[in-house]
Amino acid sequence: MWRWQSSRTAVVGAAIVVFVVCCVLPVGYLLTVSLSSVEAFSALLLDARQRQLLYNTALLGTGTALLATAIGAPLGIALARIALPRKAILRLALAAPVLLPPYIVGLAWTYLGSSRGWLATLAGHDLLSAWTYSLPAAIVVLSVVFYPLSMLATEVAMRRIDGRLEEAALVVAPPGRVLSHITLPLAAPGVFAAALVIFVLAVSEFGVPGLLRVRVYTTEVFTAFAALYDFTRAILLAVPLLLLCLIVAVLAAALLGDRLVITRRSAGTRPALFDEWQRPATLGAFVVLTVALVLPLAILVSEAMAAQSISAVLAGSGRAIVNSLVLATAGATAVVGVAVWLGYARARTAGRMGQGADILFVVLFAVPSTIVGVGLILLWNRPGPFGAVYGTDVMLLLGYLARFVPVAALALAASARYVPVSHEEAAAVSGAGWLRIMWGIVLPQIRLGLAAAWVVAFVLACGELGVSILVAPPGEATLPIRVYTIIANTPSSHVAALALLQTAVIFVPLAALGAAMSFREAR
Amino acid sequence: MNSSLLSLSNVTKRFASHQAVDSASLEVVAGDAIVILGPSGCGKTTLLRLIAGLEVPDSGEIWLAGAQAAGAGRSMMPAHERGIGFVFQDLALWPHLTVQRNLNFVLESVKMPRADRAARALEALKLVRIEQLSSRYPHQLSGGEQQRVALARALVGQPRVLLLDEPFSSLDPELRDALRSELARLQRTLQVTTVYVTHDQGDAAILADRVIEMRAGRIVAVNDTKRKEQGA
Repeated sequence: MWRWQSSRTAVVGAAIVVFVVCCVLPVGYLLTVSLSSVEAFSALLLDARQRQLLYNTALLGTGTALLATAIGAPLGIALARIALPRKAILRLALAAPVLLPPYIVGLAWTYLGSSRGWLATLAGHDLLSAWTYSLPAAIVVLSVVFYPLSMLATEVAMRRIDGRLEEAALVVAPPGRVLSHITLPLAAPGVFAAALVIFVLAVSEFGVPGLLRVRVYTTEVFTAFAALYDFTRAILLAVPLLLLCLIVAVLAAALLGDRLVITRRSAGTRPALFDEWQRPATLGAFVVLTVALVLPLAILVSEAMAAQSISAVLAGSGRAIVNSLVLATAGATAVVGVAVWLGYARARTAGRMGQGADILFVVLFAVPSTIVGVGLILLWNRPGPFGAVYGTDVMLLLGYLARFVPVAALALAASARYVPVSHEEAAAVSGAGWLRIMWGIVLPQIRLGLAAAWVVAFVLACGELGVSILVAPPGEATLPIRVYTIIANTPSSHVAALALLQTAVIFVPLAALGAAMSFREAR
Repeated sequence: MNSSLLSLSNVTKRFASHQAVDSASLEVVAGDAIVILGPSGCGKTTLLRLIAGLEVPDSGEIWLAGAQAAGAGRSMMPAHERGIGFVFQDLALWPHLTVQRNLNFVLESVKMPRADRAARALEALKLVRIEQLSSRYPHQLSGGEQQRVALARALVGQPRVLLLDEPFSSLDPELRDALRSELARLQRTLQVTTVYVTHDQGDAAILADRVIEMRAGRIVAVNDTKRKEQGA
């Protein structure tokens, strides 16, 4: 039971304060400031240039959501219902592209399709350069990055379906009809919600549209702020994008309901519905894997091989590499340190308040990175103690907290749900205080969830660009900022080598986590 | 092969180290009401799933209406072509479909002409006395009503064999007795061939022409009941 004097109230309360200051305030403050200049805002909306911006942004989001779902959903169905060889490893490999910073895949795409790129070299003439830097290209690149979200959501949705429902249909109907009439309708809310999340992530993306020269809201916000120094315009441009993301995120969260934190698999059997499709499904999975992961990495390796020496590549980037590692480590630790208490509180909160918290977490995660960046600057760039923080690396940590605490809290809430309340009650009646119960009973049971949340936060922080590029102190850079800003004026071999280095930084902890999970499963 | 509607010959099924069904042989003629009786884990549900085509036997043969449905390690007749009606233990009513559409799915699958579907569905619902519930979703029904829907769904396609896997095990005794009597009435009315799995002797007394006892995957006894002797 919650009591005002208990240590639980103090700890969870402190986490909520940090959450409000880091995650809610920047966005809330930006909204408040922008709504106070409604006239300028409406004038901006009437601008034909802005309507084109809205059109491009909506098309980027819709196209990516559709294409990513078209790739990911069949893979999710295959993973859930077909006995694929080495499924655990295949799933991990297929999911890996979502952890790559999107601009790295975008970079590989430019090396593939440019007039002197791989395809042109192979074909002997230019094939793709006309649309290498285009909206369709951005849709393709972002779909390659985000399809794993649809794949994993579809697989989870399929696994939640009680196998008996499909068996009851299999007794009277062939597998194809069972899939279309029973399985897919039951899985549809999860698949649709994933498509909405992908829409939000795509319209929130800054790196890929920026790299491929596509004019969307995120790039315009950045240009208005960083190139034109027109802060008012940046704020006003952020509002339509923010509203679009908030509406879609609320819709997705409402669709998913309690499923965001309850991930338990359903009871019952798992009918092998489509085992006769094993071969084509395996082939399809490997084709996707090749296009989404192997090909981009191979292109980057090939480009990087042209570099004269590793020291030439690292020259000038050493500080950015160290910065990235230190800040991502500190950021991930801070994110998990806050999110674990929020996740615990969410797991122990039922009813509308719990669902409201889920929606808030999803909505805040959906806020585009450039908007978070502008919100942080608005909030912290002022005289007094706030100003002392502004202009330091702490701003980058605040950016990581703002962006990744919500998603880490959701993940840790799902983990904490697995710890029965009775375990805490048993410890409480034996005389343990709440902190001791958490330390001795709850946290050890979710240690793998904590490790996974830390690794994911580290990986996301390592690849973070949208906030970092806006709030990083002058002269300070992380690896993503360094890679992104040297693309235009540095040999492609150096850029590719740095991008590969960043990929390695991301995949090493992931591989360690995968090994830990495999070891645990084997036990 | 023989005049039986359903025939199992030395059927065996193993899951990892567990011998679920061990050399089971069984002959069922049209109109028979068989009750398979045995404790939990004795293999009776697996036997039912083998008949339905939801599992493939490791060895032995299953014949349906003179055609081989399954042999050692392979299925010659997919589940949906066997003409089976199946009432699952947890009923497995499709939650996104109304009662009417639960039945329609079956009727569409057995390729019944569209014009006849509504009448057939209504007939099945009347049989189990829930015709007024056709527009409801499963979650809007009581436990007893859900049982009746599951029964109507299993019967609506006019199956050759009706399989029931402990369908009343989760009900309170009063409702269980009522539905058991209802099922016995349907058996008499429709003369449908029935294989009913249970661990309750009471079910056997009311529903069975023949009681088959299973222990550890093996059929250990086959007994005619008073019902059969009296020609009930």
